[in-house]
Amino acid sequence: MMASLYKYRWQYVMIFPAILLLFLFNYVPMAGIQIAFRDFQIGSSIWDSAWVGWQNFSFLQEPQFWTVVKNTLFISVLKFVFGFPAPIILALMINELVHAGFKRFVQSVSYLPHFFSWIVVAYILQSFLTLDGGLANDLITRMGGEPIFFLGSESWFRPMIVSSGLWKEVGWNTILYLAAISAIDPQLYEAATVEGAGKRAQIRHVTLPGIMPTVSIVLILSIPSLIAVGMDQIYPLMNPANMQVADVLDTYVLRSGLQQGYFGMATAIGLLSSVISLVLVVVTNQISRKLNGEGLW
Amino acid sequence: MKKRSSGERLSQSIIVIFMLLLCLSVLYPFAYMLAISLNEGTDAAKGGVYLWPRAFTLINYEIVLGNEVIQRAYLITIARTVLGTIAGLLITLMVAFGLSYQRVPFRKSILSYILITMLFNGGLVPLYIQLYNLGLINNFLVYIIPGMFSVWNMFVMLKFIQGIPEALIESAELDGAGPFRILIQIIAPLSKPMLAAIGLFIAVGHWNDWFAGAFYVTKQDLIPVQTFLQQLLSAQDMSAILGSNSNQEALARGSQMKNVTLMSVKMATVMVSAIPILCVYPFLQKYFVKGVLIGSVKG
Repeated sequence: MMASLYKYRWQYVMIFPAILLLFLFNYVPMAGIQIAFRDFQIGSSIWDSAWVGWQNFSFLQEPQFWTVVKNTLFISVLKFVFGFPAPIILALMINELVHAGFKRFVQSVSYLPHFFSWIVVAYILQSFLTLDGGLANDLITRMGGEPIFFLGSESWFRPMIVSSGLWKEVGWNTILYLAAISAIDPQLYEAATVEGAGKRAQIRHVTLPGIMPTVSIVLILSIPSLIAVGMDQIYPLMNPANMQVADVLDTYVLRSGLQQGYFGMATAIGLLSSVISLVLVVVTNQISRKLNGEGLW
Repeated sequence: MKKRSSGERLSQSIIVIFMLLLCLSVLYPFAYMLAISLNEGTDAAKGGVYLWPRAFTLINYEIVLGNEVIQRAYLITIARTVLGTIAGLLITLMVAFGLSYQRVPFRKSILSYILITMLFNGGLVPLYIQLYNLGLINNFLVYIIPGMFSVWNMFVMLKFIQGIPEALIESAELDGAGPFRILIQIIAPLSKPMLAAIGLFIAVGHWNDWFAGAFYVTKQDLIPVQTFLQQLLSAQDMSAILGSNSNQEALARGSQMKNVTLMSVKMATVMVSAIPILCVYPFLQKYFVKGVLIGSVKG
């Protein structure tokens, strides 16, 4: 054993940074979860803070918390319902394009928004939707309508989040499906043509079954992240006017924890959502094992 | 080419029109913001500037580029992107290569140690407290060190290295080369396309990150461009941009100042942050796609 450890000493040197970094920034914070059960103030030691049991979990009785949970579920389900099928449909459409150059152009353009930050996307929304000189209100007033304050409106918040999310990521998410489509054996299409299948029948009987494995993998992988709705996306667009529908678990933790200093409570909420997503991962893995014969691990 | 039926031609044209609309929805916002940023602010606020600036001016860009806060934020962004990408690539390559040796004792345990972090984490507050205890809050290194190792990138790299023929490594070993030498002289050169792809992902991540600058840093001279933009997003008056800088007086003396609005300056600022990506994107695209495809192959 010692000989073998010595033989691979340089490999250990190479692996060591990862072990150290994960220890510092993943494992030590995991131990920090006990803050959820302690009365902790920044600057004091975690281990010396008084143990308060479930007291930090009192947020469970606050109506505000349940509004946040509802918002989180609402936005994640909406994003999933629109965001999951859209790239499949887009991939099928791109695949139908006859002109190769145009096809490549469409692909390149559709991935582009993926490389901009959510902050830039927020600015794009602001430039189009703002009250003073924004394009949308400009057009509305020209047509004789009343300007709408999209950015500070509860009813426009969810459509705004869902559509901007779709806009930013739909092209990027087609990459896998397009790769799966291009891996389908062309002979299958020839056989289908010989049998007299039209375009639509070919899509239904050749293309869709061909990409099904990819669809199911993407589906499985996306379920665990359901409750982690992009704080990256939502936080920049949140303001007092739309707070009631915009506040999700991540932003709630951020505000109550880092900004207001309720460390115990924010850790408790974080713990709760970590546990839920862990359960989702494990359950998804079991289902995937049953259906596909193999899980993610 | 077979003759296409009229039905197919119809559906083809519908798809083409839809695709054109999609491309327009991506490209137009940038053209629109560019037009606004190149227009006199008060004039743009009247509406009607859709594609071309009506009252052309560079004043918005002069304000943005002459602003010390923004210049500083740019330096921070560039520094963290360069350093963060180099550090991230180095660690990713090293760890992946180390783990590619199947016979390393405890390899399975080390892999589980790494994998567990993908399933469970302590959450934001304990991480913040750990950063605080390590002295990383309000420290430039908070941009580099905590995110230096990405499990996901490491697995993609590992997968790639495992695809390199083992005979190459064995023959180098017979010649007496140690693992570090093999890594530098054989693995790294062969991994160039993968390193390019991962490096680009890391670099874009650093360029676009605003979160660390917003919450782990309170000193204004340490924030990156995206955090500055995030602060500016909800700003209600010009002092958010001009407040801390000397060109306020200079501009006030110039008569042009009265034509500047918050919106026009905001648009110039966001263009300045987006233009580098718009410029490099066409050249780097193929690496991005390669990266996501290799990354998606189940390991």
